[in-house]
Amino acid sequence: MIEVRNVTKTYGRGEGAFVALDDVSFEIPDGVSVAILGKSGSGKSTLMHIMSGLDSVTSGEIRINGENIFAKKQKEIDAFRSRQMSFIFQSFFVQGKESCYDNVGMPLEIAEVPASKRKELIMHALNSVELGEKAKSKAKDLSGGQKQRLAIARAIVNNPKILFADEPTGNLDTTTGGIIEDLLFSYNRDKNATLIVVTHDPELAEKCDMQIIIRDGRVQEIRDNTTAKGKI
Amino acid sequence: MVACKKFVITPQRKERFNMKIADTLRRAGRSLKQAKARTLLTSLAIAVGAFTIMMSLAAGEGTRNYSNNLIQSNVDPQALFIVQDDSLFESGGTASTGLREYDADVSEQGGRSLKLMNQEAIDGLAARDDLTDVTPTYQLSVRSIEFSQSDTRYSAEVAAYNPDVISEVAAGKLPEKGTSIAADEIVLPEGFATTLGVSPEELIGNEVRLTIVQPSSTLGEAEAREVIATEGVEGLARRAQGETRTITTSVVAVTKQSSTSFTATTAASVSAETAKEIAEFTTEGTDSYQKYLGVTAKAAEGYDPAKVKAELESEGFSAQTAEDLQSLIFTIVNVLQYIVAGFGILALLASLFGIINTQYISVLERTSQIGLMKALGMRGRDVSRLFRYEAAWIGFLGGVIGIGLAALATALLNPFINKTLELGEGNYLLAFVPWHALVLLACLILIAIAAGYFPSRKAAKLDPIEALRTE
Repeated sequence: MIEVRNVTKTYGRGEGAFVALDDVSFEIPDGVSVAILGKSGSGKSTLMHIMSGLDSVTSGEIRINGENIFAKKQKEIDAFRSRQMSFIFQSFFVQGKESCYDNVGMPLEIAEVPASKRKELIMHALNSVELGEKAKSKAKDLSGGQKQRLAIARAIVNNPKILFADEPTGNLDTTTGGIIEDLLFSYNRDKNATLIVVTHDPELAEKCDMQIIIRDGRVQEIRDNTTAKGKI
Repeated sequence: MVACKKFVITPQRKERFNMKIADTLRRAGRSLKQAKARTLLTSLAIAVGAFTIMMSLAAGEGTRNYSNNLIQSNVDPQALFIVQDDSLFESGGTASTGLREYDADVSEQGGRSLKLMNQEAIDGLAARDDLTDVTPTYQLSVRSIEFSQSDTRYSAEVAAYNPDVISEVAAGKLPEKGTSIAADEIVLPEGFATTLGVSPEELIGNEVRLTIVQPSSTLGEAEAREVIATEGVEGLARRAQGETRTITTSVVAVTKQSSTSFTATTAASVSAETAKEIAEFTTEGTDSYQKYLGVTAKAAEGYDPAKVKAELESEGFSAQTAEDLQSLIFTIVNVLQYIVAGFGILALLASLFGIINTQYISVLERTSQIGLMKALGMRGRDVSRLFRYEAAWIGFLGGVIGIGLAALATALLNPFINKTLELGEGNYLLAFVPWHALVLLACLILIAIAAGYFPSRKAAKLDPIEALRTE
């Protein structure tokens, strides 16, 4: 369970201060898929950064499984992120000059997974996005859709409990985007992992169990379809 | 108990740490491979410095080895060179002030005055218990030298035989080390045989006549009258011309030119007795009669030459031991080595800016990668470590290239130098010492890591949110 409690984030001070998030509160149960929907500049990306502990809050707290992450040391937040969370970005951020295998291996290195267990995890992740045969290819030789699949493999290799996806289909055509969406939702279903999609695309948001609509730094509306879809 | 537990390094923790190091090293290596040209160029700059320093080390080591060889085969460790005037060792004599009080023991030459050692002092030294083999440094001048093989008169340098240096012989036989040749014997260098056009063997046992001349004396009127009265006008003429004497010796050995020998390679050597005879005869009646630059001597068995030296110095003499000679040569070698190494260090310093520059560019280029790694939970200090390891790899690569080239250059140049300088078999002026190379390599890696500090700090401080916004 992720609890967002009265989170306010202000950039700058005094008259020039800009309120990116204003008293935002909501709860996300484990294993659901959530869309954080909003226009660009609405504060949805800031919200994602704060929920993952990458950014700090001005006031308020984020509780993950009952623990306020901002009460922890940076070292513990980093360790938590490396074991429990992962990210997918609009512009993939795959390392073009490295092989697919090495790209997927990076989170395992960071999470200090013993070298003996890595190969199996990496190949499993690559196979689950159907890139097993491309293990030795350089990432830059992949197509856009393949790159995002590679990014998914990298995101799921360490079996995270929470998966953040920031406009995951923003740079892709509809067909390819559809494949990516399917992969994300099937990971969400099969592993009972929480999927948090940050998007401005209402169609993608529709496919999620929950939609949190952000406007000008405030929560405008929360739609909960979990009961309708038979979850929980 | 609980409090203690925190600080215990468990085997798992240690293993995890090692794994992290290995992972980071691998990742650093991979990152560098992705920018091959840049990595290579940066490390080549370091290689230039490493090469220069390695060559200076090799040259210093080689030269020290060579001079050590030279000294050990030429100088008895017990040997001492004792002089009256310590300014000889420093500047070759005291700078002359022009006009000074007359002193029979002081010689003046080329604007330098030097106090010489007289016979009395030499007798005093010879009487000491802690010295043996006290031999003055005879300055020998021989008017002419004749050989039984030829009617031509030659001139040649003649020196006193040094029983402590056994030269290689081309023909004949030299006495054992420490034993002098007999008074009527002479040792000739191989060059003489060549000039005479005979083989060295033909010279052995043959007669060599040395003609020495007493300086003409200036007689007062009374003395001149006396000479005329007793010896006639011929006597006076002979005095004015200088008396001559012929010393007949026989050739006992012909020596080869040796690469590890200091002395007597172009001079004929006579025994100490003959040398004394020549020196005294040719200076008789002059101020330099029985005056010498100094003496060579040996500390008697059981005496430490350094202690003997100290004692002599307290008595107003000045002395140099074999060790002093060695350290003198080493000082010169060291200074030259430092100069070359200095250039290497300058080159290295310049290359450090190369590393800093390269790594800064690398941080800028990989902003998104750094951001991603931090988002995935990599800690700032681990990011910093990654960049420092990259710098270490560059240092390692540069070091290996530079040192490898130095090893190659040493192997290729040695035979050439040996041949050009005619150093003789097995003497090499460049000595590649493996542990020097290893220490240098370790230093280079450390220096490179230090240079990588600033870029790595920039990487560590990068804000992942900002970093992921780029691209």
